[in-house]
Amino acid sequence: MAHRLTTCTFCGVGCGLYLETSGNRVVGVSPSMSHPANEGRICVRGWHVHEVIDAPDRLTKPLLRKNGRLEEVTWDEAFGFIMDRLKAIRDTHGPDSIAFLNSPRCSNEESYLLQKLARAVMKTNNVDHGAGVYSNYALNVLLKMIGTPGTTNSIQGLDRSNVIIVSGVDLGRQLPTIGGRVIRAKLKGAKLIVMASRRHRVAESADLFLQHKPGTVSLLFGAMAKVIVDRGLMNLPFIRSHCSSYEAFLESVRDCDLLMAAEACGVPADQIEAAALDYARAASAAILYTTGIEAREHDSVESMVNLCLLCGQIGKDGGGIFSLTEHNNLQGVCDMGMLPDRLPGYGMVGDDGARRAIEKMWETSIPHRRGMSAKWVLSHRGEGAVRAVWLCRYDPASTAFISEAGESLRQCDLVVMQHVFLTETCKYAHVVLPTAVFGEERVTFTSTERRIQIADKVIDPPPGIESAWQQLIRVARAMGADWKYNSAADVMDEIGMAVPFYSGANYENLSHDYGRQWPCTREHPMGTQFLFAPGHPSQSFTFIPIEKPAQPVVTNDEYPLTLIFGHSLYYWHQNVLIKHSETLKREYRMLLLDYPDGFVEINTSDAKRYNIRDGEKIRLRTTSGSSVTAARVTPEVMCGTVYVPYFVGQVLRQLQVVQEKGVQLLPVRLEKEAA
Amino acid sequence: MKARIIDRDDVLKIADLLQGQGYDVIAPFRGRGRDTFFESISDDNRERFEIHLPNPYYPPKSFVFPHMERLLTVRRSNGDLLIEPTYRESKRALFGIRSCDVAGIYHLDRFYLGREYRDIYYEKRRRNLFLVNVVCTIPGEDVNNECFCLCTDTGPAAQDHFDLQLMDLGDEFMVVAGTPAGEALFTDSMFKRGSEAHREKRIAILNEVRKHFKNTTSWFSATVRYVSQGAVLDKTWEDIGNRCLECGGCTYVCPACTCFTVSDHQTGSDEIERVRIWDACALAGFTRMAGGHNPRRAVHDRRNRRFFRKLAHYFIQRELSMACVGCGRCAAVCHGDVGMPNVVEMIRRASLESDAHAD
Repeated sequence: MAHRLTTCTFCGVGCGLYLETSGNRVVGVSPSMSHPANEGRICVRGWHVHEVIDAPDRLTKPLLRKNGRLEEVTWDEAFGFIMDRLKAIRDTHGPDSIAFLNSPRCSNEESYLLQKLARAVMKTNNVDHGAGVYSNYALNVLLKMIGTPGTTNSIQGLDRSNVIIVSGVDLGRQLPTIGGRVIRAKLKGAKLIVMASRRHRVAESADLFLQHKPGTVSLLFGAMAKVIVDRGLMNLPFIRSHCSSYEAFLESVRDCDLLMAAEACGVPADQIEAAALDYARAASAAILYTTGIEAREHDSVESMVNLCLLCGQIGKDGGGIFSLTEHNNLQGVCDMGMLPDRLPGYGMVGDDGARRAIEKMWETSIPHRRGMSAKWVLSHRGEGAVRAVWLCRYDPASTAFISEAGESLRQCDLVVMQHVFLTETCKYAHVVLPTAVFGEERVTFTSTERRIQIADKVIDPPPGIESAWQQLIRVARAMGADWKYNSAADVMDEIGMAVPFYSGANYENLSHDYGRQWPCTREHPMGTQFLFAPGHPSQSFTFIPIEKPAQPVVTNDEYPLTLIFGHSLYYWHQNVLIKHSETLKREYRMLLLDYPDGFVEINTSDAKRYNIRDGEKIRLRTTSGSSVTAARVTPEVMCGTVYVPYFVGQVLRQLQVVQEKGVQLLPVRLEKEAA
Repeated sequence: MKARIIDRDDVLKIADLLQGQGYDVIAPFRGRGRDTFFESISDDNRERFEIHLPNPYYPPKSFVFPHMERLLTVRRSNGDLLIEPTYRESKRALFGIRSCDVAGIYHLDRFYLGREYRDIYYEKRRRNLFLVNVVCTIPGEDVNNECFCLCTDTGPAAQDHFDLQLMDLGDEFMVVAGTPAGEALFTDSMFKRGSEAHREKRIAILNEVRKHFKNTTSWFSATVRYVSQGAVLDKTWEDIGNRCLECGGCTYVCPACTCFTVSDHQTGSDEIERVRIWDACALAGFTRMAGGHNPRRAVHDRRNRRFFRKLAHYFIQRELSMACVGCGRCAAVCHGDVGMPNVVEMIRRASLESDAHAD
């Protein structure tokens, strides 16, 4: 047996764990005691990662669709087919008829090469990642306000926070290692303030639990800012030295009325006041939220960053903004430029300076027009413009968030899928290229605390199976590009040139300790535990005045409840990796066994009022449509709300929900449906 | 039990003797930072062997009860089903297993072999396992902040259930034989007879190291009583449950936890394998029944199950062994700090508070 340190690849925490191997089989897993992100803890997913690697039904031969069926073919035949089709489509319909999409679980090397293949070889900016539909908004707000698109501090730093605010995210379910860190920090004396519409496990440990109405995050944070301004607790020296647009922000805060805001949020004013005073007076205070759909709630990220700047809770250990990523490499995938409008390192494709720097490095031209987003591609093939879609480990057909994805792919002339398993989306694929799996390749991932770390190779892939990045090199070479990478380390060397804050992140450096947190530059190769310590990177922040905080959804006698569409909470329940572990499948699919036709969640007291039992059929009626589903009665959801998990696609369609900016809230009424 | 003295430099020669007898000799080695794990001693890592280091987090129970173990394969052949069990029978010696983990393996013996049904897979692994216990004597290395074997009476020096026990006396090691197989090694000339001075030194060292346990949860036996009598308040169990994030880690790292689940995997067009995998009472699916009913649906019901199983008198009597050995791994692995030492403390505090109210 042998034990090798590697990094878990489920969620964004990036826990250090050891894989135990016996021969060429991974037979066990255990957490690292010393890894700074998890210090001996991992969640139920990490504890079963070996089962996923060991799954017997993984793909080992390339598949090509012939007469409507996927058949095993040789690698040469599969790649030959791809080349012929790609070239034909490009020559007939132009480069922008091809889109390259990946999963936010792909490695940095894979992501970098995929967008390079799109931009430098195929000449299109049609690149995006599967979580872009919601997380790119949070990213852009951070870029605008603090200039850095990521969590400013370290997970370990939460041990040194005096006050921790957790907004929205159910850490216990989604990011348990951070949830545990927060609970333990509270046990050691930090004040824990939880704000959410749902009651969740971490809320049970909170000193203050502000259960607010859905859609009122920015109103709530705006009210806190008002309390702080009224009491004169702003950090004026910090604001004067480092922030712009303060006056305009102050103006918008003055419009806020605490009592009215408290009423609208459904939270007592004294609780808002207590939370605001705790946050403002703390020596160091952190705000945690996720980049998931909840963060898309109107102006929510802006309002949280505003509060942080107002109190100067940034640039110090234990403080900061935690923009938590739910996927293991969402941060890295964005850093690598898997975005339709941004190059590696976040330069805009339309910015001549940024584009030319990359062009010079790649020794070729890249298009300057922004590309299509994944949502645009998968909703209606970019209004019919897209003919070919390349999917790298991305399984959009299983995410009802873009419910037309299957239909859009069906209409394409070429769908290439790189994946380990025969996913739902493979139904629409013309070619399926099986790839190496976690544990079979040495690549890097960037966690939510900006930690770039190597996931090690502990066993050999099955005969003939390559890494996804190696397959991309084959395609680029066949298309005439002169790509010379012998290893993932070579790719990282080039990433270091393209992404300034990765310039010190070569494999030699990353193989020490537990990876490095960016900025990891040639000047600072040890990386950066928290951002904006004097001068690194420089402090220059911008307030964003929130004109008129969004009012919550107006319910009435006819439609007395608020319908919430949630994405993140049950994300893992339909995940293909989860399905390949016996234990995880059991745990995560239990709800689907209990409610085989899907479910929506209603509060226990609402259930009593409408005389609805757990599991009973109910009809949801909105002004635009109606849908029948089962009720899951739980005290977790707030009274007066109905929570729809995203995977209940049928409900979404029948209620004709339009996915736009902002969180989806609708007034709704409940009716009992005869069984 | 017989005891002998060897020179400090001769410790690894015991490993050589065992290798000479055909054992794969497995010892803890350092990984990165404070991490340690068990690996076979070979020419490659021999130089890195250390006797004093933190006890590996991943428990040595995996050598008799693996994280994931193939039990059998079923193959279709000529219209018939061929069922072939897969047993592991090679000889292995754990060199440097700590006293708590010796007690853990003894508990597994009681569970898997001590009752009416003997688990054949466990038995074949166990019969071929030789245990060389090392007494924990160096605070900060052998003894960490979570250790509480003093309270469970399983350490720092195991009193039984090992084949051989090594204790560091400084320049020399005391070697105690716990079984005839262990004693048989004493024929080698490196083992010398000890003196009264050696015995006194052993007692002095043990007395000293006992002072370095931070987690002397003296309420452990009282907790056994409270749990056995059902006297722990519901509110306390709820507080404990609210801090559980349902990872299952406490069960996986526990040297005395025995639960597993069994599943069949397709491994070929005409073949399946049946594996058993560690399972955990923290997980809701563990007690969910086929019809959907779950007797332990609420998280605190699942949490208190763990502590009933470990501390209730009924179970202790059934196995004549307690399913907690004081290693402290559950405390180190727990997201919400509700490992055994803290739970004992929470029960103590809650009981004192309720006493105060009763006055």
